[in-house]
Amino acid sequence: MANIAAQRIQREFKEVIKSEEVAKCAIKVELVNDSFTELKGEIAGPPDTPYEGGNFVLEIKVPETYPFNPPKVRFITKIWHPNISSVTGAICLDILKDQWAAAMTLRTVLLSLQALLSAAEPDDPQDAVVAKQYKEQPDMFRQTAKHWTSVYAGGPAKMPELDDKIRRLTDMGVEEHNARVALSSYNWDLERATEQLFS
Amino acid sequence: MSTAEEQPGPSKPSGSATDEKERDDRTFECNICLDTAKDAVVSMCGHLFCWPCLHKWLETRPTRQVCPVCKAAISKDKVIPLYGRGATKQEDPRNNVPPRPAGQRTEPETSTGFPGFGFGDGGFHMSFGIGAFPFGFFTSTFNFGETRPSPAPRGTPQFEEEQFLSKVFLWVALLFICWLVLA
Repeated sequence: MANIAAQRIQREFKEVIKSEEVAKCAIKVELVNDSFTELKGEIAGPPDTPYEGGNFVLEIKVPETYPFNPPKVRFITKIWHPNISSVTGAICLDILKDQWAAAMTLRTVLLSLQALLSAAEPDDPQDAVVAKQYKEQPDMFRQTAKHWTSVYAGGPAKMPELDDKIRRLTDMGVEEHNARVALSSYNWDLERATEQLFS
Repeated sequence: MSTAEEQPGPSKPSGSATDEKERDDRTFECNICLDTAKDAVVSMCGHLFCWPCLHKWLETRPTRQVCPVCKAAISKDKVIPLYGRGATKQEDPRNNVPPRPAGQRTEPETSTGFPGFGFGDGGFHMSFGIGAFPFGFFTSTFNFGETRPSPAPRGTPQFEEEQFLSKVFLWVALLFICWLVLA
């Protein structure tokens, strides 16, 4: 790995650890290996959003050309959000693509992702199904995102009605996550989800 | 002697002095490598970089050259090198990196007297021409600076010729103006 990349990540790592956001438990960075090429990030779901109370784990891969090119970041924790793929965790965010600037740091990237959770851009979606729901049925979207937060990110919400629908499908032999995806995609319409799963 | 040497001494009261020094050092960190800026340059928007770092950034995106901090337009010609006092040892010749752009110096302006209206050094010349009015007017009126060839010395045939021509032009001009007024 190029010297400048490793050196800079080390400096940034120290900066993040000292930052006030870490003190507030809003963001966190951990090393995955000793060569500073891969890190594990964590952001707290911002307050007053369906993600509140959840902790979202991110995979951060630092290219050799860092900081001249952006780090490769994706969500490991499954999340229901218009700009994040519910399947792969891939993120659609301009600063991680063409709007990257060399002065941005791990800290600013994590804070930008946290901001993305509070302000989605449904017109520039990564997950078309989620974006459509976000625009057409905002209440349904909030319910779904809250449910995913509680299941995958340790969120506090209890939604027995949704859990019940999932149980109906798992009883039919459907894997739980697949059941959840089908129901989420069809606005929790049990009939249509079943139809899609068994067609 | 210097305060920098006193600070790490044993009589240091608390962490505050080192904190302050650290903060001072960080003010002069390159925004790209986060190290103290070497071969420092500053952009028009006021952001500090090492020249090798900034050069590499500009090369990474040749079509979209923006400041890495504030995304203002930036280019090689629009950065100013910073020359500190204990600065640049040339022991680290950077290959592939062109030398940092030089500072621009403009000489202070010394105002000289007005160069004159083209009357030459002595005699007055009358010339007359007909052309497309505004342009001919400008070219004949505003040719400051370029002095006309000085008139021929008095007494030579050329001098008399020139005087004669000058008078002829004067009369033609007067006639033309009269004609313009009367017509």
